[in-house]
Amino acid sequence: MSIFHKIKQALVDAAYIWWQEIRQIFRDEGIIIFFIVVPLAYPLLYSWIYNNETVHEVSVAVVDMSHSQLSRQFIRDCNASPDVEVAYYAEDMDEAKLLVSKQLVKGIYYIPSDFATRLNRMEQAVISVYCDMSLMLTYKAIYQTAMTESQRMGAGLRMKLAGNYTDREDAVSVQPLAVDDVPIFNPSGGYGSCILPAVLMLVLQQTLALGIGMSAGTSRERNRNGQLIPDDDKHYGGIYRIVGGKALAYAMIYAVMAAYLSMVVPRLFSFPMLAHWDDLLYIMIPYVLACIFFGMTVSCLIRYRENVMLLMVFVSLPLLFLSGVSWPQASIPGVWQGISWLFPSTFGIRAYIRVNTMGATLGQVLPELRFLWIQAAVYFSAACLVYGHQLRISRR
Amino acid sequence: MLTGLFFTSLLSDGVPLDLPVGVVDLDNSSTSRSLVRRLDAFQNSRVVAHYPSVTAARNAIQENEIYAFLYIPDGMAEDLLAGRQPKVSYYYSMASLMAGSMVMKDLKTITTLGSAGVGQATMRAKGYSPEQIQTALQPVRIDSHQIGNPEGSYNVYLSTAFVPGIMILFMMLISAYSLGMELKFETSKEWLAEADGNIIVAILGKFFIHFIVFLTVVLLFQYYIYGVLGFPRMGSVWNILLLCLLQVASSLGFGIFAFGLMPSLRMSMSICSLWAVLSISVAGSTFPVMGMDAPIQALSWLFPLRHYFMVYEVTVFNGFPLINAWFHFVALIGFALLPCFVVSKIKNAMLTYVYIP
Repeated sequence: MSIFHKIKQALVDAAYIWWQEIRQIFRDEGIIIFFIVVPLAYPLLYSWIYNNETVHEVSVAVVDMSHSQLSRQFIRDCNASPDVEVAYYAEDMDEAKLLVSKQLVKGIYYIPSDFATRLNRMEQAVISVYCDMSLMLTYKAIYQTAMTESQRMGAGLRMKLAGNYTDREDAVSVQPLAVDDVPIFNPSGGYGSCILPAVLMLVLQQTLALGIGMSAGTSRERNRNGQLIPDDDKHYGGIYRIVGGKALAYAMIYAVMAAYLSMVVPRLFSFPMLAHWDDLLYIMIPYVLACIFFGMTVSCLIRYRENVMLLMVFVSLPLLFLSGVSWPQASIPGVWQGISWLFPSTFGIRAYIRVNTMGATLGQVLPELRFLWIQAAVYFSAACLVYGHQLRISRR
Repeated sequence: MLTGLFFTSLLSDGVPLDLPVGVVDLDNSSTSRSLVRRLDAFQNSRVVAHYPSVTAARNAIQENEIYAFLYIPDGMAEDLLAGRQPKVSYYYSMASLMAGSMVMKDLKTITTLGSAGVGQATMRAKGYSPEQIQTALQPVRIDSHQIGNPEGSYNVYLSTAFVPGIMILFMMLISAYSLGMELKFETSKEWLAEADGNIIVAILGKFFIHFIVFLTVVLLFQYYIYGVLGFPRMGSVWNILLLCLLQVASSLGFGIFAFGLMPSLRMSMSICSLWAVLSISVAGSTFPVMGMDAPIQALSWLFPLRHYFMVYEVTVFNGFPLINAWFHFVALIGFALLPCFVVSKIKNAMLTYVYIP
């Protein structure tokens, strides 16, 4: 047989395997769920959950023992701020505590009876803030509002005492050093804009791994010999045509899904998007390839498809944390950093966020891109190895 | 158990310490350098590099080297002394919310201190007493009490919600899995025969072992966080015990119910996993449920983890009486009783269904 003929035969086989795989994907409802429904619907659901981005009007109770013009001014100022709503006036701390226990308020502002007296005597007055710490975001809203309003009130009092002539003098004496606070890349500090890009990339890897695992499980159960590769089909003749044909089937579906996840969903919910589509393409190609070969390797190592599900679902939340979006990458212990290198999602998420949310150039994410290509290559070889092993088993 | 170890060791610092921060100091005066030194001394920030320009510092953020930088313009010290109100800026990346807000807190404090330092020096020169200076600089002081988590530790905050969340996920999956396996390996008829054809006895018998094993695991985790790691709690041991019982019972109940609805191994497991993964967000332990859209708030009632989290928050974390969480308590019991609706369907499935790959 000539070499030309051999190549042609290999291509025909790969195309046949590709066709078998595509047919299996669209026949099996379990695989359809993970390959089509979840990547399409899950991101929308998640985006909807985090759609409001920030928490406003957190309800607090006020215990005003002072009943003075100054204390009422403080309460009014807090109520007027975007993050806090004064929902209840309590007579004493016990009543306020009751309100917290009923989940009606998330915190208490306690203004002592000597508040105005001390201020008028030119002594330092204290306002106590008690927070229910079960939610960090509400704690931040309550605490920071009290901070800002107390500083504003203090500045007003100091201005009155300063005895300046002009507004400019007032401004300089209250704040000799002006400060500009500039949050960048996610200026509203939105929760969704921060976490969602990572979730999108993770959904891509997890659904791919789950879908591939399921498809492999289905083949095992369908094939007469109970193995991954049928022994009665002469098309399944070589490692490369099997791996190539199957990978092609997954890559075709995920070319669409990756474009949808990386470009359509962020646009629908107007998350920060600073990247051009061609930059994203350079990230998504190695990422999708690495995920496919990762999924194929895992699907061979684990015999029952249900176990693939147990494993992959189980690791999704830890993987999100290891990517460094919610817990800073600089604070992740070395052991976990090392383990995180095994998964494509770690680098995929980092590269995507830095390019898409933070507007980095491809050159600035070069280390991540290199890692993704290395992972793609390593998992490709691993997939070939395990499929070679499967091939030998089914030939026996 | 592994996830328990994962989260508690990942978050063992409680709060992220020594996050890398950069400085663009165009002033290079003793004032600016003392600002930078003091910033470095803060708990959450560590000054790792000086950059010649804002662009260079921005590039460093994009290259993941720093999370924020302080920009001190040329002539800051001079303008400060002359009363020309110079302006310093700090830029922080909110692409990572936690890192961004941590370094922001330090940068905000340091710049406020810089402002106060000037006033302090003037007043000391005029002969004010330290108390007078403090009052003049900060007439109203905020005294913050972080009830239940005085250090603001993220370990206490996240591990107590995420680890039970993953355990619930696991329990749901395993309960659907073990019922499905009976079908898959065609042992379902034997299983029913052992219970004399009584499906309720069969299910109770099968899941009694599960219940004990899972309860042990869940209790071990609780012992680990409260006994070994010393997480703060205000509820009693009985509250924890009750919560664990409810956690295990409701997740097993949900898993069995999911299988009863769709007596196919693959479908019921898919439903359970999708539901449980979603519940970690909907539980509202990070982004509060009150901040979500109204339909999502209503839907959150359908997730066992949401009710678990609320009962935990009220009775264990804050130590309030159980009556304040009665609704969530009842809901958890409801989840545990869900299988009652589908027992007959499960029996039918076990007797007649044939496993299709």
